[in-house]
Amino acid sequence: MQEMPLDGAINSIRVRFGSQALTRAAELPPPQPWPSRTPIDRLTGIGGLPRGRLTLLTGSGTCGKSTLALLLLAGATREFAHAMVIDTNSGFDPWTLLPFYPELSALTVVRAPAPEIAGEATATLAKAGAGFILLMGEIPEHWLGPLESGANRSGTVMVGVIDAPGRAFAHASSFSVGLSRTDWIWERGQLVGLRASARCVKNRVAPPLGETELEIRYPLGAKPLFDHQVHLTDVSSLKELECVSAVV
Amino acid sequence: MRICCGLTNHLELARRPDLYGNPVVVGHWEEHVVALSEEAMPFGVTPGMALRQAEHLCPQATFLPPDPEAAAHLRELISSALYDLAPTVEVRLEGIAWLDVSGVPKPGESIREARRRLKTAIGREPRLGLAPGPFSARLAAARARPGRLVQVDKARAFLAPLSLHELPLDAEQLERLDLLGLRTLGAVAAMGPRELESQLGRAGRHAVLLARGLEPDELTPWRPPLFTSAHRQFESTVEDREALLFVARALCSDLAEELGLRGAGAKNIRVRLFFEDGSQERRNSFVRHPLSSAAELFGLIGSWIKEWQPHAPITELWIELPVLESAGRRQLRLWAGGDGNGEEVAAALERLQERHGDEVVYMPRPHLLSSPLPSQRFA
Repeated sequence: MQEMPLDGAINSIRVRFGSQALTRAAELPPPQPWPSRTPIDRLTGIGGLPRGRLTLLTGSGTCGKSTLALLLLAGATREFAHAMVIDTNSGFDPWTLLPFYPELSALTVVRAPAPEIAGEATATLAKAGAGFILLMGEIPEHWLGPLESGANRSGTVMVGVIDAPGRAFAHASSFSVGLSRTDWIWERGQLVGLRASARCVKNRVAPPLGETELEIRYPLGAKPLFDHQVHLTDVSSLKELECVSAVV
Repeated sequence: MRICCGLTNHLELARRPDLYGNPVVVGHWEEHVVALSEEAMPFGVTPGMALRQAEHLCPQATFLPPDPEAAAHLRELISSALYDLAPTVEVRLEGIAWLDVSGVPKPGESIREARRRLKTAIGREPRLGLAPGPFSARLAAARARPGRLVQVDKARAFLAPLSLHELPLDAEQLERLDLLGLRTLGAVAAMGPRELESQLGRAGRHAVLLARGLEPDELTPWRPPLFTSAHRQFESTVEDREALLFVARALCSDLAEELGLRGAGAKNIRVRLFFEDGSQERRNSFVRHPLSSAAELFGLIGSWIKEWQPHAPITELWIELPVLESAGRRQLRLWAGGDGNGEEVAAALERLQERHGDEVVYMPRPHLLSSPLPSQRFA
């Protein structure tokens, strides 16, 4: 009984505002993946980070999310003409990216002294068609709409790194991975890395898959971090999880 | 090199075609004659003489004050009318139009079309000359009947019998040459450039080269004005920002289309809003990279309009691009994703810098990576 009025309402909206004004989620084309060549690709369910959508890496401090984000950023600088970092707290040092062999000519850092500027910069660059945007913090809620529409149109890959996202920011993301440190890695009495579990907490591009375990080694000594890059320690540990966030 | 020259009236006279056939003298009182019609010449009036003297010699002439702006505007119109006939065009206020028809596929058609357009612009048939250089082409045109062409193949032979007074020399220099026994261009051409240079200085050398048909002077090519604009006058006043954005987007598309045709880009963008009370507000900005696409233009102008707080209903919107330059298309990095949007991304970054300061955007380039100080590692 409810479907009839709903269909009528949908039809009237389409007649009044055009056929593109309203689209059923099931009719939307699936997002195209950007293969990041990290274990995260496996978690998304589409073989890469979704283009035109916001991906969140969340977790408390020292869980490895920033290292993982730097790895994604370095890969993006090699594959995209424009890889942007929206640095909300002026804490990004390009030097930390060097162990991942970035293509620095493609890297641009936007130092936003206020969240409003960060929001404007992110939405503007996504609309302009920057290939990859790394968000180092949250942006105001009213910029999330322009951000989503701009990125959707241009296909920009957006990755946000944040300890605990706010409700609006979490809602705007299409794919969220929660990282938590499970163990430190010690070798010869020296801390060389950490183990972390990465759990898919939200997925709007494919059915939520599960979790995996990552081993992250810090760049120590002569061996760069890139040689110890993030890798999956136990593929068999993949297991189905309960659906945390339904497809909206 | 083949130069076609079209001779018409002085452009000051072309402002008043109703006076054709009557003696007309143009000049300010207490000053010199700027231009005169052919009908005034038999009375002894010459360009440069005092206007009072001209009045004394030809009292029946119509005396007009000069209007340099109108004449310059007419020159621009004629230049733009001839621009598509030959790559190099020069038009002077004296009523001389040169076209370099070297390499033009059908020079005859271009010359015929130039004659037709000059007649339309001036209202009189031009005299035409075709010669290896601008000097000989002008002299050839001066010897043609109205609407006819005098063609010169060997400039030196054509110039040789002509009077010495055709050379661009002042009266004193001409008198000096006369004292030397030089009466024709052929006599001047027979002298060595250094010999005449010792007598007249640099002008002497120049005169010898002209007389020999070597054409030392080159044309100064006219180029289309580096300015374009688009505007919309509203039938009823506009207070709705969305409507203003809609119109701005359409104007940006028009401008981008024109820029694309001209292969140009704009570094200076100006927007003016005219209000109901007759006042206006404007905003102007310089960008580092020339904007050429509709998205780039509207990206900047749309952001202005979104934050603009007009004090009254708007009656007219102007978008002006005062300085155009080459758009400088770049080679795409074919293997890098999203490089096709490079100009739009660059424009977006510039807008951010314009709004929030240059320090907002930072492109790290390695400097002293081994330095212990983080500030020294990147430039």
